Amino acid sequence: MNPKRETKVSALRVGTIWLILLAVLAVLAVLAINVGSAKYSVYQIITAVFSKEKSTVKIIVMNLRMPRLILACLIGASLSSSGAILQSVMRNPLADPGTIGVSAGAGTAATTILLLFPHLTGSVPLFAFGGAALACFLIYSMAWKGGVDPVRIILSGVAVNSVLGAYNALLQMMHTDSLEGVLAFMNGSLSGRNWTHVRVCAVYAGVGIFLSLLCIKGANILQLGDEMARSLGVNVNRTRVLLSAVSAFLAAATVSVAGMIGFVGLVVPHIARILVGSDYKHMLPTSMLLGADVLLLADTIGRTAVKGMEIPVGIVMSVVGGPFFLYMLRKKGKVSGY
Amino acid sequence: MDIKGQKLKIGYGGHPVVENLSISVRPGVITSIIGPNGSGKSTVLKALTRLLAYQSGTICVNGKDLRKFAAKEFAKVVGVLPQMHSAPPDFMVKELVGYGRVPHQKWYAKNDNEDRRIIEWAMKATGVWELRDKCINECSGGECQRVWIATVLAQQPEVLFLDEPTTYLDISHQLEMMQLVKKLNKENGIGVVMVLHDLSQALEVSDWIVVIKDGEKYDEGAPEDVITSKMMKDVYDVDCDILHVPGRNKPLIAFRELA
Repeated sequence: MNPKRETKVSALRVGTIWLILLAVLAVLAVLAINVGSAKYSVYQIITAVFSKEKSTVKIIVMNLRMPRLILACLIGASLSSSGAILQSVMRNPLADPGTIGVSAGAGTAATTILLLFPHLTGSVPLFAFGGAALACFLIYSMAWKGGVDPVRIILSGVAVNSVLGAYNALLQMMHTDSLEGVLAFMNGSLSGRNWTHVRVCAVYAGVGIFLSLLCIKGANILQLGDEMARSLGVNVNRTRVLLSAVSAFLAAATVSVAGMIGFVGLVVPHIARILVGSDYKHMLPTSMLLGADVLLLADTIGRTAVKGMEIPVGIVMSVVGGPFFLYMLRKKGKVSGY
Repeated sequence: MDIKGQKLKIGYGGHPVVENLSISVRPGVITSIIGPNGSGKSTVLKALTRLLAYQSGTICVNGKDLRKFAAKEFAKVVGVLPQMHSAPPDFMVKELVGYGRVPHQKWYAKNDNEDRRIIEWAMKATGVWELRDKCINECSGGECQRVWIATVLAQQPEVLFLDEPTTYLDISHQLEMMQLVKKLNKENGIGVVMVLHDLSQALEVSDWIVVIKDGEKYDEGAPEDVITSKMMKDVYDVDCDILHVPGRNKPLIAFRELA
């Protein structure tokens, strides 16, 4: 009898994958610091950063690229875990805060505050959370018909998304004078983000990521089906509400600093599931690491692909994510047994 | 464990499926609930197991009102295998069975030695111990169903509720499932309540049968007393003979439509 061995092998595999993802992150980080409209060698950067004088190199690296790098990692990790948790709550591998309107809820709340109540700008993350939670609730209650059907969830999510999109567009048309900040918001961009943004995001994303790790057992049990979960003595509705709240919180944390970035929460957990399986104990941390990798890569590409111009990271993700979404729709059923 | 439902009215939304039905489950025996499609038998099973709220009437479990039970407290004494369940295909058998320990654990707890011992016992009792390191999608339909029974068994219930446990299984796996049910009842004294479609199987394994028709109880009693040509005509509108064959304890059902 040796039931331990199997677990050890898979734990080894998971550990290896985590190490690889961390290594990739390190390489991407070095790359993200190096490249850009001004290119520096690693030696130049190291000497500049550790010297006391304020050189241009030091300013670019420490005040522009560094905060951006950290933000990309935080946001990638947050969006991925938000998506992963949402997928368990909605019992649907296609759920993603971007595609089903949770981010749009956060974005709507945030734009409303920025344009109509600018004096409340400091509390944007909180309002964004409220908006995201409300969107979650709307999607869920619209899809509820004596139970939730995965397809109905996606359809009602698309509906919520488009209604909120229309409202956003209207709001912008009526406030063309103060649009600058809002526009970057809608596309999801990390351009011009500084340490203040990092501080805000680190607090919210940190709390969110910690909370999401507490969701692991609940997320796993929801995968067994509502009736089974209920007969195991789990309060299914309460678990759903709690998990949705954590997911909305994470989405809101990212939206309030970087705007709406779609598809991360869809693509990343899917790949994580292929790598380590559907047990959230392994899948969720893998999603976080992989999410940081993916978003950092997408932002670096957006920053450097076209000379003299920045493509917002949200657009990069949409270009990659849209086709991926279609691919998953076609493959659905085989994907992950939902 | 004794469960009594009285004057139950159960339904989805405004439509009561079951009205004024009383049912009692005696401890330690195998009870089958039979009846035509849509008669409300699954609905009754769901109400008795907290999966569906009943609109009026009372359900008492060991003399205590069902509504006063905390979810986990109930799950420690009653195991339910719903008709619909799913698991991610890459979950290992032993992991899935491990979820049966959830009602006994705090939400953050991991399996301790006691849990592992019970999980092992549940897998051995259902004959899935050899499959423990396999993934769910590597198991056949019959194996899968036994894995689910093991999961519910790991809850250490006093009574097991099974909603059509043999649907979707071929005949050999159906018989295997019925043997398993009998074995769990005999060897471990676990009471079983199941919804069954196959009347021959109900006749063969049950100690008590409840017949439900149009949301009302038509009859209940020992299998030989309940399964009669009259009942078959009244409830299912089927003509049949109940044949007693020497060498068999229970009679057989012979359908005239097929003769």
